[in-house]
Amino acid sequence: MGALVWILHNFWTLLVALVLALVGLRIAWRFYKYGATRAELAYILRRSPFYLVVLTFCFFAAAPFLIMFMHTFKTDGDLYRRPQPFIFRQDPTLEHLDALFNNTAYLDFIRNSVVVGLAVVVITLALSLPAAYALARLTGRWGERAGILMFLVYLVPPTLLFIPMFRIVVLLGLKDDPMSLIVVYPSFTVPFSMWLLSGFFKAVPPELEEAALVDGYNRVEAFLRVVLPLSLPGIISTIVFTFTLTLHEFIYGLVFIADTSQRTLSVGVPTELILGDVYFWQPLLAAALIIAIPVGLAYNLFLDSLVQGFTMGAVKG
Amino acid sequence: MSIVQINDLKKYFNDVRAVDGVDLAIDQGEFLVILGPSGCGKTTLMRMIAGLEKPTAGTIQIGGEDVTELPPRKRGVSMVFQSYALYPHMNVFNNIAFPLRAQRRELKFDKRQMREKVVHTSRLLEIDMLLDRRPRQLSGGQRQRVAIARAMVTQPAVLLLDEPLSNLDAKLRANARDELRDFQRSSNITAVFVTHDQIEAMGLGDRIVVMSEGKIQQIGSPQRIYDDPANEFVATFLGSPSMNILSANGFRFGFRPEHFLPKTLHDSPKNSRIFHYYVKRVEYLGSDRLVYGYVHGHEDDLTLAKVPSNVRASLDIEGDYEFAVHYSDIKFFDQDSGRRIEQQNLAKVL
Repeated sequence: MGALVWILHNFWTLLVALVLALVGLRIAWRFYKYGATRAELAYILRRSPFYLVVLTFCFFAAAPFLIMFMHTFKTDGDLYRRPQPFIFRQDPTLEHLDALFNNTAYLDFIRNSVVVGLAVVVITLALSLPAAYALARLTGRWGERAGILMFLVYLVPPTLLFIPMFRIVVLLGLKDDPMSLIVVYPSFTVPFSMWLLSGFFKAVPPELEEAALVDGYNRVEAFLRVVLPLSLPGIISTIVFTFTLTLHEFIYGLVFIADTSQRTLSVGVPTELILGDVYFWQPLLAAALIIAIPVGLAYNLFLDSLVQGFTMGAVKG
Repeated sequence: MSIVQINDLKKYFNDVRAVDGVDLAIDQGEFLVILGPSGCGKTTLMRMIAGLEKPTAGTIQIGGEDVTELPPRKRGVSMVFQSYALYPHMNVFNNIAFPLRAQRRELKFDKRQMREKVVHTSRLLEIDMLLDRRPRQLSGGQRQRVAIARAMVTQPAVLLLDEPLSNLDAKLRANARDELRDFQRSSNITAVFVTHDQIEAMGLGDRIVVMSEGKIQQIGSPQRIYDDPANEFVATFLGSPSMNILSANGFRFGFRPEHFLPKTLHDSPKNSRIFHYYVKRVEYLGSDRLVYGYVHGHEDDLTLAKVPSNVRASLDIEGDYEFAVHYSDIKFFDQDSGRRIEQQNLAKVL
């Protein structure tokens, strides 16, 4: 706790020091490698505007996270005192984190979201892998058009669909059950994943599958042993994307489930931590931050294959 | 004995007749080359033998069994693709072992035997030191060997090769051709080799099938096809530079540039047809001189002569000369169908 307090008190100093240290190390490393020549000094001068711009963008990208992080630990008095500089005028506190985990159903929300997310990912893959493969390989002109039609389904907004869908959910007896979301979410994740995956499948040369067919395998085996391993980056980015789509879905989650302990994160957090016009800022920001960090990391890890997937679909589709 | 028997095979893609009625018998242990310009249907024919393309009509028998409706895996053939189609996510060992793993389900052999087969085949092709590498770490020649090893490891009845040398650079290609031929001889496998490169075809084939527009134009040994072409297409497709074709009195006749030589070089002018030849330009190609000019009376058709450099005939630029062709080297073709006319006395008509 003592260390945390110290870090939070000196947060901005530490951040600037860290950035300066990294920049300094980079310059020092170049000097160590190339020596302090005029050319080297010119190089550093020439590159510094570029790094300055990069640093600015980094700051804007990171600022929401930094602010969420800081405000999580602020006392009410400190938070509402004007003006609101990003420093601690009172000692940081852990009481809001404690409240979030012990006085709200936050852990239930996480569990529900993860269960729903994983189940939807499994269903989505099971449906969209064969569909995307068929779209990429086994169709003529009409297949391409069918693919575009299926993608159009994705463009129908849930705000139009939640009322008819609600009737279906009630009919199935799934009201107030996260199961209802598992049934409904694939309606938008499948078209999207199918489109993403077919781009990756198209990038696998058909000759490789033909080679597998001649080598003694049937089409399903050729798909499983050759196409699938080669489109693994695509499949991973589809998983990440599908999971985050379910994670931030709001309207179905709000309408289908009224029971607090059965709600998902995207619905549970705002409904539990905003009462009327009272915003419980610190736990709200903490709840958002805790979820945003793993998702952000996952996106960063698979950013390249995600971009690749979109552009492939765009160029060839 | 023929191991592959193809009867009246057809493949139409909508209106395009890719393969249009092919009959072909491939003998056990022979090296058969299918030669033709691009778009002649040779690759489609091979893909139908492999089972990757479904014929519109006709039958294919392999080893006496009708395989027309069977999928590729049940035909006992293997194939080397033009791009080699090596699996990029597997190392060389697993690439070669891939067809064996499929076979293991039916023929019982253990992992050790599989390993032995892979190592044995890779030794034959001298790639046994590359077994741990990934395809992208290999050179073009090495990739080609891996592709052949993968195709050979199951000891198939027929090995199909789809222009496997076209991705190699010119120096490697001659070497690879020689090794491929040695390898085919020593393993006594039946090989069907598709190419558009006539030098490859002449150098490799026991027999050559010349195809054009989905039809077989001629089947025969390289020498037979070159010296005794069945029609005008075969005559002009083979040979570089290609055969001179001229028309006369309701038929067409042709002779190869290397048979068209100054009159003085012919030992018996009595047996040769003499042409008045106007020489326009001479290219010196080292071993030969390539002469561009016109035959008197056929000024519309550029006629070439290929004169060996060691022949000390002076061929000054721009001038009239007397060139001659031995009568037996002149081939006659029907004006309309392009078919060869076997009529020696036509030579006297010229």
